[in-house]
Amino acid sequence: MVTDSDHPLFMKNEMLAMILAGGKGTRLGKLTQNVAKPAVPFGGRYRIIDFAISNCVNSGIKNIGVVTQYQPLILNNHIGNGASWGLDRLDAGITILQPYSNNEGSKWFEGTAHAIYQNIDYIDSMDPEYILVLSGDHIYKMDYDEMLEQHKQNNAELTVAVIDVPMEEAPRFGIMNTDDNDRIIEFEEKPENPKSNHASMGIYIFNWKRLREVLVNSANKDVEMLDFGKNVIPFYIKSGDRVFAHTYNGYWRDVGTIDSLWSANMEFLDNESGLTIRDKNWRIYSKNPVAPPQFITEKAQVKDSMIVDGCYVSGDIEHSILSSNVQIKEGAKVKDSIIMPGVIVGKNAKINNAIIGEDAIIGNDAIIDGQTEIAVVGNAEVVGVDIDEG
Amino acid sequence: MKANKISAIITNENEPAGLALLTASRPLPALFFDCKYRLMDFALSSVVNANIRTLLMILNERKIKSVFDHLGGSREWGLDSIGSYQYVNFYQDILRKKAEGKKYLANTIEFLQKSKSTYTVIMGSQMLCNIDLKAAVRIHKQRPEKMSVVFKREVQDKIANEDQILEFGADNRIIEHGRFSDVANKTDLYNLCMDIFIVDTEWLIEALYEGQENDAPASLIEFLVEQMTKIPTNGYEYTGYSSNIFDVKSYYQANMELLEPENFNELLFSSQKVITRTKNEVATYFSPESDVQSSHLATGSVIEGKLRRSFVSRRTSIKKDSDVEGAIIMANGSIGEGATVKYAILDKNVVISPGVKVIGTPDRPLIIPKDSCIVDDIYGG
Repeated sequence: MVTDSDHPLFMKNEMLAMILAGGKGTRLGKLTQNVAKPAVPFGGRYRIIDFAISNCVNSGIKNIGVVTQYQPLILNNHIGNGASWGLDRLDAGITILQPYSNNEGSKWFEGTAHAIYQNIDYIDSMDPEYILVLSGDHIYKMDYDEMLEQHKQNNAELTVAVIDVPMEEAPRFGIMNTDDNDRIIEFEEKPENPKSNHASMGIYIFNWKRLREVLVNSANKDVEMLDFGKNVIPFYIKSGDRVFAHTYNGYWRDVGTIDSLWSANMEFLDNESGLTIRDKNWRIYSKNPVAPPQFITEKAQVKDSMIVDGCYVSGDIEHSILSSNVQIKEGAKVKDSIIMPGVIVGKNAKINNAIIGEDAIIGNDAIIDGQTEIAVVGNAEVVGVDIDEG
Repeated sequence: MKANKISAIITNENEPAGLALLTASRPLPALFFDCKYRLMDFALSSVVNANIRTLLMILNERKIKSVFDHLGGSREWGLDSIGSYQYVNFYQDILRKKAEGKKYLANTIEFLQKSKSTYTVIMGSQMLCNIDLKAAVRIHKQRPEKMSVVFKREVQDKIANEDQILEFGADNRIIEHGRFSDVANKTDLYNLCMDIFIVDTEWLIEALYEGQENDAPASLIEFLVEQMTKIPTNGYEYTGYSSNIFDVKSYYQANMELLEPENFNELLFSSQKVITRTKNEVATYFSPESDVQSSHLATGSVIEGKLRRSFVSRRTSIKKDSDVEGAIIMANGSIGEGATVKYAILDKNVVISPGVKVIGTPDRPLIIPKDSCIVDDIYGG
């Protein structure tokens, strides 16, 4: 018999995803001057947050909250009503969560856990059994449903996704020391002498009831519970809560620095990322601009590169990625570089080892050379002045 | 009634016979164009760019699936929002009703009445252009005539025998019209009727009521063409880029003309964007061995071979040492290693086996039908 509770509208939200997208991304410098890190373009076609949102959708998660704080305009515009990810359905949705003020003051976030605490009203309204906490600034494909299954099997209160990093790099990460059953017995933030190489990916599944209790109680007692890594995980372990590690083996990149953003793009181009981006069974969706096909003119030379819609190419492109609506004029040479959407590169300009930010203009004959260190031109920055129309 | 509200009717009634090979598996509005468009995108975009949100499509029922596949909920064109009104009717249904002696224009009349519009724009499917309908309606408003027709001064090569040629008298009014094949006086440029009409809705409703009682044509375009000399009709000249697509050669030429940057910019890079259904595809990858010039490409493809003056749609693979020139490759094509494709139109899902040669001529491009796998050389022309 079909009862009301079987109807999708009445079904309980099993797992709600919360994507933390408020970070400034200071280490990306000029590239995040007017845009939040998760909205930084990637791979010609995407913005970084597309990976987390698409992973959610592919994992069968239907409701997503995106917690924003720093420069959210482009991010909001990109996400819209979620139609690009099929989230504009009757029983699905994506909600932008911007800090707001109420009688208790304003709700700016001071850490990852604090960002969740400040959005308790939203999470309660969705009434989930579990919440999945994600960073909006990682490049990877992951099935969160597998992680949830393991979380349930372990009867866990918290499951942390971990990736094994080379031992010498372990001191840069939050390291999870586990027992034989993958239960986390100790957490060390950036340990000098790591006991294991299980690095936290910043991906957590919590039983919402318990996490809510911990966050609310700590706030009432003025106990600092701002950050998942620093405060919440150690508190869980100390309290004897069942905390487990979920090991992930695939490709995963934190693109928080210019160097890592550049190399992740290059790995994407060289097909060495292991992302299997053309795999139809786990597609990465994005908001698609209205743009004509790319036009490679009779003057152009394109080698070992990726190009998307709306590009107009009359110059030489080698081992580079051109994002949407980029114009490369005659005689220009672009090598080992990432050109973000809307950039115009003038005649005979030379770009080497660089990231050119959105809507930047590189004038005729200008030279951008990042031979020693990746060169960065900021969003809407103008380098040189001459630009020929047409 | 909102003052000056505009409604639109896009029709695909009689499809040109000369395109039969390309329209075998789809109606004309769903025909691929320039890598990522379907012909219907142009008329639809002109309509929504003029902020017209009340639309009737009179479609051909044959192979209708591809039209609906492309339209989906018409979200991309913004026609799925509150305040928009979309309505579909089938031309064959109108013909059937007429044959049965029923009120065959009743649905069209009902649409026009419900639209509560002051003006209605009617567009056919065979003339490809990016017209500013707002400007055209503005001019129509200032004129005393109840109907305006859009025309273009066009050369002989771009006109089909069935197309209507207009003759104007004083005051920019049409005094005569007839099929191109019946035109006696040869000149350099002809006033080609673009099958785009702007009418006072009230007048059209009355005229259709009356026409229905008097055996008027079931085709709305034919009906309006007949009216051009019955009532005073104003001519509105379109001077932008356009293509008249009526046979294989004109279709092939229309694509090739977009390799001229001026044409490409005028049609696709103007302030009026041409909207099409969006697809999620990866960037197109050009391998180190690839050699691409003078070509248009959509996303999702992998190019390893040589490409000249060609059009490559989504998800196409062109293997190394292949030589592709003057080709139109529709979605999901595959050109094998060392294959040669010259002056050809490859319909969707075509596979050219390694080393195989498919060679036509610029005047008579070879057409490879949808889903075929070519294992032997083909020479045509």
